[in-house]
Amino acid sequence: MRTRSSFISPLSWSFFTLLLASLATLAQSSKAGKSASSTGDSVLVIVEPTKQAEYSIFLHGLEKKGYAVTIRAPKADNPLLIEDGLPNFSHVVLLASDTKNFAQDISPQSLVQLLSLGTNLVLTLGLKQNMLTSLAPEFSLLLPPPATPLVSFFPERADSPSMIPIDVSRQSIPNDILSVFPSQVTGKVWFSGTAFALNSNPLLFPILHAPLESFAADLTDASGLVSDALADASEKGGEGLWAGSSLSVVAGFQTLVGGGTGHGADAGLGENDQARAVWVGGSSLFSDEFAKKQVVEKIQQERGMKVVENPSGNKQAALEIAGWAFQEKGVLRIDEVTHHKVNQTGLVEMYTTNDEIVYTTRISSFNPSTRKWEPYSGLKDLQLEFTMLDPHVRTALLPVKGKTGLFFSHFSSILSSSPPLLTGTYSTTFRAPDRHGVFKFVISYKRKGFTHLHHTLSVPVVPPRHDGYPRFLSAAWPYYAGAISTSIGFLIFCTIYVAGEAKEEKKSKKE
Amino acid sequence: MPPKLSTQSSGNKPSLSVHTSPNTLNPTTSFSTKPSSSSATLSLSSSLQTLLKTYTTQTPPQLKFIDSFLLFLVLSGVIQFSYGVLITGFPFNAFLAGFSSTIGQFVLTASLRQQVNPENRLEFKEVGRERAFADFVFGSIVLHFFVYNFLG
Repeated sequence: MRTRSSFISPLSWSFFTLLLASLATLAQSSKAGKSASSTGDSVLVIVEPTKQAEYSIFLHGLEKKGYAVTIRAPKADNPLLIEDGLPNFSHVVLLASDTKNFAQDISPQSLVQLLSLGTNLVLTLGLKQNMLTSLAPEFSLLLPPPATPLVSFFPERADSPSMIPIDVSRQSIPNDILSVFPSQVTGKVWFSGTAFALNSNPLLFPILHAPLESFAADLTDASGLVSDALADASEKGGEGLWAGSSLSVVAGFQTLVGGGTGHGADAGLGENDQARAVWVGGSSLFSDEFAKKQVVEKIQQERGMKVVENPSGNKQAALEIAGWAFQEKGVLRIDEVTHHKVNQTGLVEMYTTNDEIVYTTRISSFNPSTRKWEPYSGLKDLQLEFTMLDPHVRTALLPVKGKTGLFFSHFSSILSSSPPLLTGTYSTTFRAPDRHGVFKFVISYKRKGFTHLHHTLSVPVVPPRHDGYPRFLSAAWPYYAGAISTSIGFLIFCTIYVAGEAKEEKKSKKE
Repeated sequence: MPPKLSTQSSGNKPSLSVHTSPNTLNPTTSFSTKPSSSSATLSLSSSLQTLLKTYTTQTPPQLKFIDSFLLFLVLSGVIQFSYGVLITGFPFNAFLAGFSSTIGQFVLTASLRQQVNPENRLEFKEVGRERAFADFVFGSIVLHFFVYNFLG
């Protein structure tokens, strides 16, 4: 990290404000230190002391990624989640899914407050009702009745039907949703716990679906009665049955607040105030038992079936799920926004109606492997709106190849020895509407799994000045000719009239 | 204002009411002695002829010169107005400037004509010929100042 003094000395005053803004962003990024997260290193894991050893692989994996893990028992008083109005940790993982009573400061209210303060949460649901099952509906999760775990009899296996291997690679993910699991997650992921349906909340998206053949049922009844529950449900036309791949076992929630560059007064809250929450149907997904458990698969071959034992994908999947929650991936940031008239440079205080405006922005994405913000040109559906109450212009903001922002190219060449960055710039040119008023440039990019980008910048659009209109139009030549001929006629009239008067005077004098 | 003719009526004064040119109203000379031809068109054309004749003979040349300027202004105004109505009134400020310059000049010239008319000498006793012309020139200059400011 560069020092402050080496920044200021070579810079002229005009860059000073920009510098301050960049310092703010640098300060923000400096929060992301050793760990792969873009928002902080400290993790609080709330887990029953007796079960702490069950999650050693997951916790060790977190520490390996650079996180500072603190363990707290659910009923312990320390360390506090929020102290003096500030969160104590960057991320909180609640693995105590079956705990009934928590310490006083661990409440649904405090968890929501943590989110609004920018702390990321990983929340696991249990089969019994507790604080988290009552909090889940606030996130638009629809839970099945208590004590009805997800059950599947496919594929055929020796394990309990509530212990389900889920194939990550077969999950279909729409294009506009970030795929949380990269292709490196191989093998099936063991899951045991409750599944949930997702309400139509735009902030909520499924990370891992339940298998197609699975359903929620009560297994504590006499064994074998599960099928009776299915038969009952089918008699009712499937009503009340929680089944199928529309259920999710892991879901992500991206909070709405924040966005902006941190530049200027109307840049909004910093993007670091956007927090993420992950809901996991069962804490056992993170457990050592499932990480080590082999997945028995029968592969059809020429000479009959072959039984293959593959390692499960739980270890990596757990880290990927936590990684999304801890803002390692899908993290975007607007670095800079500039706008100017076509064929002109420099910022403009106001635009005239029908001006051609060039709007340019630079967007960075956090790279968890290098742990740095890198220019990101991957957004294909970014849009710019030019709004006054309604969007008067809504246009695509497309990535620009081989060009950096106007200011930044200058800026970076001064500040760093690195060559100007070639990507991450998005630009568009549009005509200002034939309407005057205070307009706003609005970027509002909300895609599931990605940080929401929101940036507004207001500019006045004024009508042309009195001398800004076109003059002496060809259509008006008859009028010009009329006025000129009247004047010439007036002059001729005066001369002849005066001459006539003079003659008459002479005449009268002679007489 | 159509001249209302009452040739049938007894009076040997066909009451020509042409207010714009009061000098032509000369009851003794303008009396054309042709009481025949009851048809209205004939009487109209004859009276127009009389009007023209009287105008050419009776009007001083100076007033005739003023009238020719007035005629030019009327024609210019009509052309501009019809262009504005039929083709384009845009830009409207140019139309207003051009059209109102003809109207304003017409009004000023008409006032000049009234004041220098020997017939109206009694009415404008205190306004001399020089004074009337100076008023006319001053008014016109002010008018043209505004017109050219408004034109472009």
